[in-house]
Amino acid sequence: MSHCENRVETPVVATAEARQEFAEKVLPILESRFGAVRDEDDQWGFTVVVEGAQLRNVVLFLRDGHEYRVNMLLDVVGVDYLGFKDYTGPRFAVEYALKSVYNPSRRIRIKVRVSETDCKVPTISDLFPIANWQEREVWDQYGIVFENHPDLRRLLNHAEFQGHPLRKDYPAHKRQWLSTNDFLLPELEARLEAKGYKIISRSKEVVPDAEEYLTGSIKQ
Amino acid sequence: MIVLAPNGEQQSLMPLNVGPSHGATHGCLRYMTALDGENIVASVGEIGYLHRGFEKMAEQGTWQQVIPYTDRLNYCSALMNNFAYCRAVEQMLGIDLPERAKVLRVIINELSRIADHFICVAAAAQDLGSTTGFFYLFDSREMIMVIWEKLTGARLTNSYGRIGGLYRDTYTGFEEDVLAVCRQVDKNLHDVHACFDRNRIFLDRTTGVGKISAERAIQWGWTGPCLRATGVASDLRKDEPYFDYETYDWDVTVGTQGDVFDRLMVRLAEAEESCKIIKQALKRLQPGPINVDDPRIRVPDHAHTYQDMESLIGRFKTVYEGIHVPAGEYYSSSEVANGELGFTLVSDGSGKPWRVKVRPPCLTQFAAFDELIDGALLADSMACLSSINIIAGELDR
Repeated sequence: MSHCENRVETPVVATAEARQEFAEKVLPILESRFGAVRDEDDQWGFTVVVEGAQLRNVVLFLRDGHEYRVNMLLDVVGVDYLGFKDYTGPRFAVEYALKSVYNPSRRIRIKVRVSETDCKVPTISDLFPIANWQEREVWDQYGIVFENHPDLRRLLNHAEFQGHPLRKDYPAHKRQWLSTNDFLLPELEARLEAKGYKIISRSKEVVPDAEEYLTGSIKQ
Repeated sequence: MIVLAPNGEQQSLMPLNVGPSHGATHGCLRYMTALDGENIVASVGEIGYLHRGFEKMAEQGTWQQVIPYTDRLNYCSALMNNFAYCRAVEQMLGIDLPERAKVLRVIINELSRIADHFICVAAAAQDLGSTTGFFYLFDSREMIMVIWEKLTGARLTNSYGRIGGLYRDTYTGFEEDVLAVCRQVDKNLHDVHACFDRNRIFLDRTTGVGKISAERAIQWGWTGPCLRATGVASDLRKDEPYFDYETYDWDVTVGTQGDVFDRLMVRLAEAEESCKIIKQALKRLQPGPINVDDPRIRVPDHAHTYQDMESLIGRFKTVYEGIHVPAGEYYSSSEVANGELGFTLVSDGSGKPWRVKVRPPCLTQFAAFDELIDGALLADSMACLSSINIIAGELDR
């Protein structure tokens, strides 16, 4: 072992009391400053519901506004409540799971309810780079639009896929004929341009848009 | 493509497609690079080739019927995924496992971790041209596979975890087999370190390659050995202990540089620590029940079903209706070989899950891949890819 070492210092352990203490400390601030409400559905962990307009402020506050340092975005989850028992709220919800790496008792989930007519949430991909892919996945599976997302494309499903498969009204047995992979050249060019390169001449494979690219699929 | 570089020089870049079916893209993934000679100027990744709708299928059956699907997430350590999912549901149900089930889960978890880490390092060694290292590591991994065969009846997709316990008790001679694996792991680790530690070719290919800082790794949401390789001692088994991990004596291994070498060496060191845990757990293994005593959660065995009315009802109810998990939402995470495997579960109080969302540790690591290989040689991108241990099954779900 040349430069790996076994760390002997005692790590911070997340006890039930420490979690409780964090929730009690942060909840009143979130309530008064951002109008957050504790979500009673999550009786095992700590979840707050906020308005979409306040999402970025809450995330920023938790990430670097205070001593909490909730510095890791773990997951972005979409949920469809269509047909959920005794549920009357907006159809969708987007949930953000965050934690503090150095103090694991600071775990929090932020939930934003999204109505079917509006179907928009502000992006946080500029605050956490990983949110870029996680938001793309939610868009892919639920059709929820993340405003100002730099590159909102499908992540898991094919480019030519129709509909959003994790919506409750998308039948599980439905089949679609899919034949192409993603069209990566435009994004590659965009990356080069972001790095200060200027494209003088394109490769002949680069067609103007994804639409035209898809016409080359064997489906035709 | 002809480009004007930032320094005003005209360059000819070659777009090169790698994958999806390439020997070094373990599983099925693809990235496209713009090459200046052999150097990667920019790259873009694409995933989804193994997307099979795990989350949609999980909503169709009962809570127990999700377990076989979890095998297919990280198929190099399927049992760990079983336990991570079962643990999430058990937390919602508020049940505590019997002592023997907990100790067995720890032993099996750590054996899976060794197998998973060894596959990762072996594949990385193979990609770098060291077939000897590959075979040394697969030696003890094969012994673990034989234990799985005897214990669960399958090599890869074991489905051995159950909500509220385990599928069945161990076979006669399980303890000896596990101890033999520990001995073999020690021997193989010694051989592999002899192969790699002072090997000039290996060091040149791995040190300083694919470096990432701790701060950046945290922003990208990295967890597990890849985050620990950057020097952050974050391990859920220590931070948020479950299955009584806090009572075992072991250390969290961290690296310093966050490069390919550290990521591989942290994995080898963790295998050593896992052996320590297994040896302690074997001493605690006492005969006893392996399932919770609740016919509405864990299907009662045949002997009880044919003798006892309550068990008969329980057997029908759990199979036909599923387990009634209290309505609500929960995010539960466990430390698997690749990092934090999270399950977001939404229950409406019926026997079927409303929503099962997996947080695969690979996704965050592959999302940062473009940044990792920025400016590197094309050949180094292969070393990087194998060191972050992408398992397409959980990446694409």
